[in-house]
Amino acid sequence: MAGAERDARAPLLSPRRLLVIFALLLAVGIAFFAAQGLANSAVYYLTPTEARDKHVGPGTPARLGGLVLPGTLHYDPQTRALVFGLSDGTTNIAVVGNGAPPALLKEGAGAVVEGAFAEDGTFRATSVIAKHDEKYAPPSPGTTPAHQLP
Amino acid sequence: MIQTAASSFPQVRLRPWLGIVAVALSILAMWMGLVWAPTDAVQGEVYRIIYVHVPTAWLAYLAFVVVFLGSIGWLWTRRPWFDALAVASAEIGVLFTGLFIVAGSIWAKPTWGVWWTWDPRLVTTAVMFVMYLGYLLLRGLSNDFERRATRAAIIGIIAVVDIPIVHLSVTWMNSQHQLPSVLRPPGGGSPSLDPAMGMTLGVSVLAFTFVYLALMVERMAIEGRMQQRVLAVRSTGAVRREGAL
Repeated sequence: MAGAERDARAPLLSPRRLLVIFALLLAVGIAFFAAQGLANSAVYYLTPTEARDKHVGPGTPARLGGLVLPGTLHYDPQTRALVFGLSDGTTNIAVVGNGAPPALLKEGAGAVVEGAFAEDGTFRATSVIAKHDEKYAPPSPGTTPAHQLP
Repeated sequence: MIQTAASSFPQVRLRPWLGIVAVALSILAMWMGLVWAPTDAVQGEVYRIIYVHVPTAWLAYLAFVVVFLGSIGWLWTRRPWFDALAVASAEIGVLFTGLFIVAGSIWAKPTWGVWWTWDPRLVTTAVMFVMYLGYLLLRGLSNDFERRATRAAIIGIIAVVDIPIVHLSVTWMNSQHQLPSVLRPPGGGSPSLDPAMGMTLGVSVLAFTFVYLALMVERMAIEGRMQQRVLAVRSTGAVRREGAL
């Protein structure tokens, strides 16, 4: 067992242990650059204001996120036409979609739409996804839960 | 010569009690999650999958942190017990990750409206899943115990970096997945869960923790026996290697 004893009494900074320290530093370095890179460049969706500021042109595929403006959500089952206003509190965009919206798409709640702007400034959505917040709570007594509203 | 892992791990006292507690807590968690916890005002009953999705996610994070610790332990001390810890935790972590990705997908379809989307949280989670699958595949490439353990340990140290990235991705960038409800960054406020829901989530996390521990004990017992077999083969005249990377 001489080999095992020699390992157990290896110098504190043997080549093997230096490898551990190097791997740790490498991991920290990767983490730092990955975090920077992700935070700066990865964009899952633009807010309406960001889309306006970046001058996203008609026909350019884009994904927008915001809140459904109260009073603007309409779906016609006959024509399968879906319209609503998408807002971030500053800029409103008229979204036109095709097909039934997800059950959780409600006025005042979040939405993420994929598609492209049309020439007239409306956003033609090929996909409409509802986004909910991180709060979980039972319905207040006397109110109808959101998922049961028409 | 490697020293076996089997002798230093107290298996007999923990089995079968860990498994029994895990099953009991799981039954309690199931009842609380499906029956006792209140309905959600926004999502209705479908939110109850949170009691599977969130605990398995947290336990997957924990499992991969344990892989990290086992990897450091192996590289620092060369004791095979640490390598057993790492591989056992990696396998369970990959299993739990697969489970919570599937649970998340099942949750996403009726709520978001899609099975999947490439938002920052889901992308980084998929990356984490693939990295640890890679960890397991890498281990399959080598029969040399020390080389395999050392190579895997390097991956185990680097891959853990993705865990905080997965969790914080929703706070760094616009994403489809909502912000954390419980594990919030400092200044993010207290948990945004109703107290009864919070309690149910706590019991679910406890149940899954015992499932993790029970699986770990079993898997490390298997690994201990495999390490003993490696030792037996070596002592019958195979070439001795000492301190090789």
